[in-house]
Amino acid sequence: MKLREFAYSRSGDKGDIVNLCVFVYDDDNWEVLRRELTVEKVRDKFGTLVKGEITRYELPGTKGLNFVMTEALGGGVSMSLRTDPHGKSYQSLILEIDIDAGEEIKPRLG
Amino acid sequence: MTSRSISIGSGSAYSTDRLDWAQELADSGLVDYMGFDCLAERTMALAQVRRLDDETAGHDQRIPELMRRFTGFLRRGGKMVGNFGAANPAAAADDVLRGLKLNSVTGVRVGVIHGDDVLDHVLDQDLELPEMGVTAQAIAAKVVSANAYIGADPIVELLDEGAQFILGGRIADPSLYVGPIAYEMGWALDDWDKMGTATLVAHLLECGTHATGGNYVDPPYRVLDNIVHLGFPLAHVSEDELIITKLEGTGGAVDIGTMKTQLAYEIHDPAAYLTPDSTADFSHVWVEEVGPNRVRVGGASGRPRPDSLKVLVGVDQGWKVVTEISYGGAGCVERAQLAAEVVAKRLEPYQPGIDEIRYDLHGVSALFEGQLPGGDPAEVRLRIAARCDDRETADAVAFEGQFLWMGPAGGGGVTTQMAPAIGVTPALLPREDVKLITEVIEA
Repeated sequence: MKLREFAYSRSGDKGDIVNLCVFVYDDDNWEVLRRELTVEKVRDKFGTLVKGEITRYELPGTKGLNFVMTEALGGGVSMSLRTDPHGKSYQSLILEIDIDAGEEIKPRLG
Repeated sequence: MTSRSISIGSGSAYSTDRLDWAQELADSGLVDYMGFDCLAERTMALAQVRRLDDETAGHDQRIPELMRRFTGFLRRGGKMVGNFGAANPAAAADDVLRGLKLNSVTGVRVGVIHGDDVLDHVLDQDLELPEMGVTAQAIAAKVVSANAYIGADPIVELLDEGAQFILGGRIADPSLYVGPIAYEMGWALDDWDKMGTATLVAHLLECGTHATGGNYVDPPYRVLDNIVHLGFPLAHVSEDELIITKLEGTGGAVDIGTMKTQLAYEIHDPAAYLTPDSTADFSHVWVEEVGPNRVRVGGASGRPRPDSLKVLVGVDQGWKVVTEISYGGAGCVERAQLAAEVVAKRLEPYQPGIDEIRYDLHGVSALFEGQLPGGDPAEVRLRIAARCDDRETADAVAFEGQFLWMGPAGGGGVTTQMAPAIGVTPALLPREDVKLITEVIEA
């Protein structure tokens, strides 16, 4: 199942660093998200887009994850030659990650 | 004694944000204060370049419209705080005074904050520019600007002196709201939990319609009513609770989803969100819907503010040129790739002047560099983007982009953009080195 089926996200930039937060629609999916959405899976999906480190933080109060990626915008909004120098579209790429947790996940749309 | 409270609205999230919806909120009578963030990372450096060309320029260009739209709000005693000054707070103040006069508004005290321009310090102290891997002196000839992110202190000071309209240069986005909240609530600027709480409210407001459904809708999963006309967010702050809402009748939503995405927008460690005012901890923040488009938030705390202020240093990067051309039908991707190879070959003589160049295919790999493979598109657009040391080299890139009219076959719709490239890169400066000066002008 794609992450998009049960979670949503937003990306933002500071210099050459992108942060990508991910929240679940249904709180019951929080533990699955926490367990399944690893730094490795995110790194694999972003490949060449991210040259630096990826760090994962948790927001237990709002049941969300925050991925911070360095060297992720080809030099940052002011230097980058990329089509999307802010990385605004990254929030859509992370939702393409496949999460294989079977019946455990309650999808947003039944 | 009645308990203290403040109602504060968001009026702007960037330098060209729309003011009509902000005016709706100001005129609603729901808010006593409006905050206006007018600067993004790049905006500040571009403003500095405008000021280098013209000493009366480099500030927010919306001030005449702003003063016209917010005349009613000011007449009712509403207070406005914004980083309208950008690279030129003095010129912004002149424009504000002119606007007040033109719209026959009298008795407004205008507070102006000077001193965020720290270019001399950056060069004198030869500050490290870690993202570029050099110190400032090593590239001194290319350093065009340096502005420190300044905090809520001078805003509180000016409010205390009766200022009704406050402007400065690179006031940090959240501080535009933290200042009024601290002042009205009587919260000490070194009460770190209170500063963390004020920063939470500020963070939820500072991006304007980003908090009410902007950058959020994604059918069929996330659908909101009337995103054609979003409302700007506002907050009601008291000792008992923090409420975020928006003007009734406007579109979008203030709900758990829009609040959570704004909460984590552009933060790194949620337990250590660094601003000039505090080290805020949002990790245990909670969000609760208490009515239609009405949420209660809480759970923020804080630790002492950083000893250093973040500085953004503007660096001249030569020229940036982008040229594009479209191909359609069978074999379009192959023809676009062939076009890219041809241009790369033709530009070989100019290679020494090209700092970086990239070739992307819209519809195939422009956003995600091929990380998300798709099928064969019906059409594709080749994008050639380069950063060049000088205008002559940038012109050569533009020329070769346009010459793709001459093949491969079927290329159409060439566009070219060219502009000076001003990069911004962060540095840290000890807080005590940034000497701020405030002035109050009676209008």
